[in-house]
Amino acid sequence: MVKSIKIVLQITILYILYQAGEWLSETFQLALPGSVIGMMLLILLLFTQVIRIEWIGDGAGFMVKYLPFFFIPSTLGIMQYYGIFQGRGFMLVIIVLVSTVLVMAVSGLIGHLSGGREGQP
Amino acid sequence: MNILAASGIIAMTILVYRLSLYIHRKAESPFTLPILSSTVILIIFLAVFDIPYEQYMIGGEWINQLLGPAVVALAYPLYIHRKVMVKLAVPLFTGTLAGAFIGVVSGVSMAKWTGFGTEILYAISAKSVTTPVAVVITESLGGITSLAAVMVMIAGIGGAVMHKYVFKVFGITSHLGRGMGMGAASHAIGTAEVMKDSQLEGSISTVAMVASAIIVSLITPLIVSWFV
Repeated sequence: MVKSIKIVLQITILYILYQAGEWLSETFQLALPGSVIGMMLLILLLFTQVIRIEWIGDGAGFMVKYLPFFFIPSTLGIMQYYGIFQGRGFMLVIIVLVSTVLVMAVSGLIGHLSGGREGQP
Repeated sequence: MNILAASGIIAMTILVYRLSLYIHRKAESPFTLPILSSTVILIIFLAVFDIPYEQYMIGGEWINQLLGPAVVALAYPLYIHRKVMVKLAVPLFTGTLAGAFIGVVSGVSMAKWTGFGTEILYAISAKSVTTPVAVVITESLGGITSLAAVMVMIAGIGGAVMHKYVFKVFGITSHLGRGMGMGAASHAIGTAEVMKDSQLEGSISTVAMVASAIIVSLITPLIVSWFV
């Protein structure tokens, strides 16, 4: 019980950082979304020890553990575009998949070959 | 009434997600990935009961609101692994830069060669980065933003489903290689996927995802201008 209250409170801190990121993104017309700016803010605050890792650790750990869950509503948005999987639109799906494999292979190989001992399992 | 409907939808989504986790544990395969099976199960459910997406979002919006803080939470594993991240900064940057370039060029050129119009070229250009960034990039170019969001989804889920094969075929076994490949190609959905297996890989993927978002938003207008 105490632990779940702690998690809720810590998620509230993350939410405030997200809103701060949204605000920064809008005010300065930044190309990055509020959530990503919020994440960079949190990193900065952790490094400068303004926020201590214990203050957000449990809540952040919880969010990260169930991260795919939070994507469900937005991925469901795909249901509004059934048409894309039919006819010529299907070509686009193939193109995106091929391009995704290329990116994964190129970035992955560069990382794999240049990482030295550090990046090994 | 709305609160009741919203709670019902949230409860149902949690239930479907738990069911997907269970299926994935029992039958582990890229095709039973929870993000994929949850989406498919819910789409079938909504189609059977004839519930439109807007109605689902009465509850879905509450979960969606938590996506923001969930992305903020990625700073936590990143901070835990900060020493490794600083050490790996150079390969991380070069690899992500190369991936971002290949991603935009290959997507736009293939769409061009298969005869798609300019609006579609714009929508496909930013598919490797997280949805909000892709939407902003597409909007500034004058492309169809909702189509861009669908392309991002396909790159994310597609990458999450295919990554084990891709890493096997290309012999990418290190944490650095795997994290970078996922983050650069499949943004936050890919990051969420590798985070389950390894926090270090997930953190590398987070850095690659953010770097990729910044790089893609800078280079896309230039690359697209070569093809239009």
